[in-house]
Amino acid sequence: MPEELLKIEDLRTVFRTEAGTARAVDGVGFTVGRGETVGLVGESGCGKSVTALSIMRLVTDPPGRIEGGSILFEGRDLLGLSEKEMRKVRGNEISIIFQEPLSSLNPVFTCGEQIREAVALHQKLGRRASKKKAIEMLRLVRIPDPEKRYGSYPHQMSGGMRQRVMIAMALSCQPKLLIADEPSTALDVSVQAQIIELLAELSAGRDMAVLLITHDLAVVAQIANRVVVMYAGAVVEESPVVELFDSPAHPYTKGLIDSLPRLGQRLERLPMIPGNVPDPFDLPEGCRFSDRCRARFEKCATEPPLFDLSGGRLARCWLCEGGGG
Amino acid sequence: MSGGSFFWSAGWARFRKNPRAMAGAATILALYLVAILAPVLTPYDPVSHGDLPEMRHQPPSREHLLGTDKFGRDVMTRMLYGSRISLTVSFLAVTISVVLGSIVGAVAGYTGGIVDAVMMRMVDALMSIPRLFLLLTCIALFSRSLLLVTILLGATGWMGTARLVRGQILSLKSREFVSAAEALGAGSGRIVLRHLIPNALTVIIVSATLRIGLIILGEAALSFLGLGVPPPTPSWGQMVYEGREVLLDAWWVSTFPGLAIVVTVVAYNLLGDGLRDSFDPVQFT
Repeated sequence: MPEELLKIEDLRTVFRTEAGTARAVDGVGFTVGRGETVGLVGESGCGKSVTALSIMRLVTDPPGRIEGGSILFEGRDLLGLSEKEMRKVRGNEISIIFQEPLSSLNPVFTCGEQIREAVALHQKLGRRASKKKAIEMLRLVRIPDPEKRYGSYPHQMSGGMRQRVMIAMALSCQPKLLIADEPSTALDVSVQAQIIELLAELSAGRDMAVLLITHDLAVVAQIANRVVVMYAGAVVEESPVVELFDSPAHPYTKGLIDSLPRLGQRLERLPMIPGNVPDPFDLPEGCRFSDRCRARFEKCATEPPLFDLSGGRLARCWLCEGGGG
Repeated sequence: MSGGSFFWSAGWARFRKNPRAMAGAATILALYLVAILAPVLTPYDPVSHGDLPEMRHQPPSREHLLGTDKFGRDVMTRMLYGSRISLTVSFLAVTISVVLGSIVGAVAGYTGGIVDAVMMRMVDALMSIPRLFLLLTCIALFSRSLLLVTILLGATGWMGTARLVRGQILSLKSREFVSAAEALGAGSGRIVLRHLIPNALTVIIVSATLRIGLIILGEAALSFLGLGVPPPTPSWGQMVYEGREVLLDAWWVSTFPGLAIVVTVVAYNLLGDGLRDSFDPVQFT
């Protein structure tokens, strides 16, 4: 395993609302190595995006609040930094791109200007130098005719192009970690693949780690080295990508993989996981997945710890107790 | 499609198709031209007396198209020069009030929480003081001058803008591009100036245009009460005031400047409505 870049331990982020306290991220921990691509997978509302925002310290407070844990980035705890110090980390050492590229761009400035601004935020460059750098970034993310596209407004570009612009902005200061929060979900399937390929290429080219947040296992299979599976605010399984698809340890992961359509397989209906994600205001006692789990037994009434299955694999299921699978 | 913004060109296309808005814009353009060209357009002096008493209260004639006032001065000349006062005072005052209102609104809206609550309650309190009363008090405290009137009109009219801008900022700051800017490491000053205010700009411009009409009326009202621009500088409100005693005998002294006020205010309102219909993003998204 490569040298540790990001290490999250026991992260707890809650949202306080009139309806009560939602434990959106409840004791999450995982690591991302230098230059490594890690997939963070789970259903909508499982806390993946909140985890990402917590790393960036961008959880809106109130109602959100990081209650505990630590986020070590190159050994420094991000949760202990002042807002001013954190601003130097954002965009410079850790960047994030969001799901919806149109709403992530300011509608009244040209895309080029926005990249230039991102460049100028952390690098002392003059206007001309930063513009040159912005055009260079547009070329890097394969936008054709970058000099001309510098002057285009976001609404004049296609979804895929906008996401390329977002990537250009995010990479303009050569961050060591890129968090991509569902970067291809809002795009056409054909464009999705291009964007993911571009990400894979750029990260390999500059030894940048990527934390890829997605609900799409196919995307994860395409570029991730390792996968972290989240369920109801907690990590339920962590594994290198090949092993995860070959022999998922947690019943939830099994369910996710079984629900993928497969070539050459004729089925009336795809198998699915019965039931719904538990209410974050009222998490069940014991194993959070137990009420949807086909393999449930008595022990599931108490919450299982993460069992180490060797080979870099971890799973939060009593079935894995003692290293079994 | 490259180069100029689609947003502005599409807005301009909508604006051009709106006859009322174009009429308002043309009228205002004409008013500014008249104000600039006043010395060319009239042979008379706006301030010095005519031959008294025979030139007093002359009805409209070929020499004096709109008649003369009680000092024998040409009413049209004074109106032309008076437009300078009305247009300058209203423009500067509206600039002051828009800048003040935008700052207060943006700070309150962006900071939120207790700062927002305190600032907005202060705005409410200021709004509850009758404006004319506030103006009269201030003018009574200081000596009358054009600058004072301008500053006062600007400084008493920003609360509406502050509320409007705060509302805009509140809805804009939850937009994703603001989080994206934060994620790039932008500080709050940059976010307000580069991301929030520019997106609220059309709304601010529209409200400023509509507000100009009110300020012209405010200036006229002050002048009418004898508390506006000091004589003999011609201002429309003051001309209406001076003519009120002789309204039945020399109706032209008050009527024409009164009409000028009405035309200007209506023109600004038409322009403001037209700008809102053409450029307000809320109506098209």
